[in-house]
Amino acid sequence: MTSAWLSWPRPPLAATPREPVVTKAAMQRISFSGPQARALWQPRLERLGATAVAIELEMVRRKQIAATLLWTAYDDIEALTERASTISLHAKPIKASLGYAADWPLEASIGEPKRLLDYAVLIGTVSLDAPMAEPAGDDPVQVAMRFGYPACCARSWADHLRRGGSDPLAAMLGREDKTGIHAHVALAVLGLGPVRHAPCSTDCSATQDRARSFLDLGRELGFVEEIGWLEEIADWPLGASLVNGIAELKTAAFRCTWLSDEGAPRARKAAPALRAERGKAVAIGLGDSDDIIAELGAGCEAVGFENAFAMRSRFSTVVWEQTAALRHAATAVHVGCGDGLLLELIAQTRPKLTLYGTEEDSALAEAARRRLGPLSRVLGGTGGEALAALAGLAPEGIDLAFVDPERLDDGEALAAIRATTRTVIVIGTDRALHRFKDMESLAASMGLVLLPGRAARVSAALSPAMDRLH
Amino acid sequence: MTVEVRPLGDKCNIKCRYCYQEGIRTAGNVPKRYDLDAIMATLDRLAEPFSLFGGEIMMTRRPDLERLMQLGFDRHGGVGMQTNGTLIEELDIELFRKYRVRIGISIDGPGPLNDARWAGSLPATRRATARSEAVIETLCREGMPPNVIVTLNRMNAAPARLGLLCEWIGFLGSLGVRKLRLHLLEQDETEGGEGLALTAQENLAALRQLRRLEQKLPSIQFDIFAEMAAMLRGDDARTSCVFHACDPYATRAVVGVESDGRLGNCGRTNKDGVTHLRASREAFERQLSLYRTPQDNGGCQGCRFFLACKGNCPGTAIGGDWRMRSVDCPVWFGLFEDIETELLASGETVISRSDRRPELEAKMIAAWSIGDNPALHSLLQPAEAP
Ligand code: SF4
Ligand code: SF4
Repeated sequence: MTSAWLSWPRPPLAATPREPVVTKAAMQRISFSGPQARALWQPRLERLGATAVAIELEMVRRKQIAATLLWTAYDDIEALTERASTISLHAKPIKASLGYAADWPLEASIGEPKRLLDYAVLIGTVSLDAPMAEPAGDDPVQVAMRFGYPACCARSWADHLRRGGSDPLAAMLGREDKTGIHAHVALAVLGLGPVRHAPCSTDCSATQDRARSFLDLGRELGFVEEIGWLEEIADWPLGASLVNGIAELKTAAFRCTWLSDEGAPRARKAAPALRAERGKAVAIGLGDSDDIIAELGAGCEAVGFENAFAMRSRFSTVVWEQTAALRHAATAVHVGCGDGLLLELIAQTRPKLTLYGTEEDSALAEAARRRLGPLSRVLGGTGGEALAALAGLAPEGIDLAFVDPERLDDGEALAAIRATTRTVIVIGTDRALHRFKDMESLAASMGLVLLPGRAARVSAALSPAMDRLH
Repeated sequence: MTVEVRPLGDKCNIKCRYCYQEGIRTAGNVPKRYDLDAIMATLDRLAEPFSLFGGEIMMTRRPDLERLMQLGFDRHGGVGMQTNGTLIEELDIELFRKYRVRIGISIDGPGPLNDARWAGSLPATRRATARSEAVIETLCREGMPPNVIVTLNRMNAAPARLGLLCEWIGFLGSLGVRKLRLHLLEQDETEGGEGLALTAQENLAALRQLRRLEQKLPSIQFDIFAEMAAMLRGDDARTSCVFHACDPYATRAVVGVESDGRLGNCGRTNKDGVTHLRASREAFERQLSLYRTPQDNGGCQGCRFFLACKGNCPGTAIGGDWRMRSVDCPVWFGLFEDIETELLASGETVISRSDRRPELEAKMIAAWSIGDNPALHSLLQPAEAP
């Protein structure tokens, strides 16, 4: 931020107390669209602000305008006064306004309240007094023209003030039809030029003439690069809006905002039409709650869980713990598969695996078939029958068997499983873990030995040396 | 201030149908690389505890992730992490323990209740959900129970499913989960998100039921209700960003450290696919405007809860326009009323019914006008009570 900044719009001392600092407020509220935009445009905007001050002072010196008004902090008044006097101009602070807390010098807040204020400094070729800049104290049309407004824009601005308006630019942004609002007009709030007043219309030719003379003078003063940037800005597409008194401008490089006292809050229109053109929604099917309960997991008590959530969570954890084993397997069986939930979770992780289930409870076996689809291989009948059928279906053997040892009838059952499978994974159900606390104790209680080296929180591979229950 | 480290920006392995970051991904503004040294330098400079965030933070290379965890551990004794949990592996558990990582898992429910967190196809979605569930159980069994972040939507909190959601939360409590953060679905988001949002009445009914659940399950705590009660008491020392007059141009409560180390705003206000950088000055145009704007026009004029609520999160503003109040206003209002009634019944004073409310509002407006945002409790201090 430069140490002195132009007021927006000319003439400066408008009807409402916040208006004088709009330029500063909007400049400090620039939010760049990314690091590249910031790296490019932050220094440029700073230089453009300083350039605009230089051009404005030169206009006063050449008597193209009677006076200008710059805002500055208390600590910078002296430097500004000196700068003016080096080009034979008179500068006089005429008004103060409470600035923003974020700018206050830390040491000033208690001892020197004057340092918390921003000061309006009136600058002319002769010593001037505040009333010449006060629309309330003089004919506002005359005041406006004195500060560089074309007559048409001075009249329209004065009308706007009379109607109780304060921020003509925000009022313009608040209109429904924003076509034709030139980027230089909208961004004029930043005090960068070349537009330095509120135009009477979006295509006001007098405004265009004034903007052109601003650019020409800038070039003449040697600000060639800066004027080039202003010309680049002229072509920027711009989004501009005023909602409930907050104005917002959006360009590809940055957005900025300021609070205006302008305009009664307006009812907002519906959400923008653009949303209808975006990617297609995926249809959302909501089954009824019975379907959902069945989907979450049925028959949990029969297979050793307190509720469906516990069963789903546990089986999910088994699959997660056994990720590596599943990755190396081509076939797997869940002995006592209940409603098939574990098999479904395995299939979701390893869709190419050939999966089998055995389940004595015919209702649960049927539920498993429903869950796993028509091609599922869920074998009913007693444990022995199912395992015999399994051996027939998979003569090459099965890579992995998931087993709750508490659901096996006896040691023979485990032996039968071992006869057809290469690795047995023991699963800890709620029932088993409540009783035995952890997998090691569960296994030990049955005389089983687990393969060392795995986390084995809720599942573990049986040691290959274990052929049968002891 | 919450510092959210986002090495891969909004990059995520799943695409929740309602995610507020979808706009950014749709616009293709996701960084492909990151500069870890720059990120760490920024974290050094900020000297604040931080959270590993995304997108999905677990897509970060493990050695880099470990350096970030170590930095958090060395400087602040630990680090937060928010993840969907689907990419967590066995080896990560040891890292979490070693660097005291406080994990938050985003999941909306078990199995089908989490289908809004869409991973491309139904099997992939269910697989991802199962992994999240597995990680919650595993962390609990390892003595590191995660916080769980649940977004209420039609898949998990439609009237027919709400009972199941409550039962599941009870189950999480039995596993060892203690804290849940509830989010309302951001209604004005991606096209894919449409149809998932609950109505305001449904949201309110869901939150009321969850509040009753909290009273029945003392081991589980939803942060939102306690925070709302604290705000009504005028105690905003520990409440979250949505109650703190958030400025979407410079979200003070949440700062993102982006892939190149720069500071970004909280992503929830990025509605047009652009991650804007922070403005140089924080300001309160939104709150000043909401205070004076009639409710029919999207403001909060006359609302007795304004000091507590402040129009809530600008990322949830009506029509996606940060200048409006939150689209969830009816939900906040209803809950504030419930909590206000209970606090009054138990003999407590609340700022919404205090004689000092006009004076406090005037002080707050005056402070916001000069760009200051004092804590509510600091305004209350001279008289000590609301
Ligand atoms: S936008 Fe919303 S979520 Fe983000 S910091 Fe602000 S209040 Fe918090
Ligand atoms: S409850 Fe509604 S009206 Fe009241 S402050 Fe919150 S958003 Fe505004």
